[in-house]
Amino acid sequence: MTRRDFSERDIHMALDGELPVDERVAYDAWLEASPEMKARSVRYVADRAALRAAFAGVLDEPVPARLQNIVFGEAPVKTTASSSRWWRVAAAAAMLAIGGVGGYVAGIDHLGLEDSAEGQLAEQAIAAHVLYAAEQRHAVEVPASDKDHLQTWLSNRVGLKLVAPDLAAQGFQLVGGRLLPAGESKAAMLLYEDAKGERISLFVTAESVEKTKGTYGSEEDGPEAIYWLDKGYGCAVVGSLPRAQLTAVAKSAYSQLVAGLAS
Amino acid sequence: MDEKKAAILGEIPRLRRYARSLLRDRDSADDLVQDCLERALVRLDNWQTGESPRRWLFTIMHHLFIDQMRKVNRRGEAAMLPLEAREAQAAPAEQVESIASREIIDALQAISPDRRAALVMVAIEGFSYAEAANILGVPAGTLMSRIARGRDELRGLLDDAARRRAIRIVEK
Repeated sequence: MTRRDFSERDIHMALDGELPVDERVAYDAWLEASPEMKARSVRYVADRAALRAAFAGVLDEPVPARLQNIVFGEAPVKTTASSSRWWRVAAAAAMLAIGGVGGYVAGIDHLGLEDSAEGQLAEQAIAAHVLYAAEQRHAVEVPASDKDHLQTWLSNRVGLKLVAPDLAAQGFQLVGGRLLPAGESKAAMLLYEDAKGERISLFVTAESVEKTKGTYGSEEDGPEAIYWLDKGYGCAVVGSLPRAQLTAVAKSAYSQLVAGLAS
Repeated sequence: MDEKKAAILGEIPRLRRYARSLLRDRDSADDLVQDCLERALVRLDNWQTGESPRRWLFTIMHHLFIDQMRKVNRRGEAAMLPLEAREAQAAPAEQVESIASREIIDALQAISPDRRAALVMVAIEGFSYAEAANILGVPAGTLMSRIARGRDELRGLLDDAARRRAIRIVEK
């Protein structure tokens, strides 16, 4: 048995099961010899019991359906071999942060990105979405019926090989696209719509930012943007969908865009 | 359903309990769990085979919680109201708590988020110091001092509450 001086620190360790077994007897003797420490230990034991009791009931509550549905309901995004490969690379490299909690959604500034390229990209994308997604007749400059021309035109103007992602698996059809100013350069906006008329947009620029970073921007009550920047391009997916749905759409769009850029 | 998803489902009750102890309010706590699950599903590929689902999920949730706390602090919202102010907030009707439970839950909310998380992780969730330090991303020494200070602070708040109660009884 080791012999050493004990302190208040050991009270915590003993309580948390972190005191080595071979010190236990000596610790108990020390505790018995010190009424003050003994009293402290007794209070802490009681507090822990009260804490556990206060939250024990939570484990017996039925799990809310909304939580189960996230795991059950949301089918994994269908990925082709190439897109899943790209997604994995992107996820690892871009540290995609689907951030924020409930009403306290971590906004663009939560990583100190107020003036950063990421923040600007997301804000531009959100602004464009708010302006054009609401337009019924003039939402796009080139309609989806002229998809080949749309892709060629935007690719040339933006300076990227742009392939409009197929988001049919997520329920969205291409409406068309338009060219937009984005800071010093230009951006392509692709607008999609689902059967209920809900719209999302993709915003792609040829930002030549060296660093690889991804995060998530949001405005309260407004559409949310999930965005990425990589060497040579920036991309944002904007919409007012439930978070999980927007994430699924973004994942699919991003993997296809990246695959298209590299093709 | 694949094994990973089944494992995640099985952890939801524990995640909810941890979230509730961090945030108190049931809906906010479930929002935190929801964000945690969404993030986890996006990152399923990052989950190493053999890594405990519990540790993985708690780590994700802790990061979300800390982000939120920073955000709330910057906004100066009521994340850490003093105990007196909290007492004025009626507990939601569906949360039936004994007086003792309410007191300790209130006290827990009044200590700093870092200490709260460390204490709850070990005292309620039963993680070892090594596991908790790993999840919270702090050295073991930091974890220990957070636990010690957290317990001390919690006890102090409970003593204060008991004193105030005694005073009120005398005033009647």
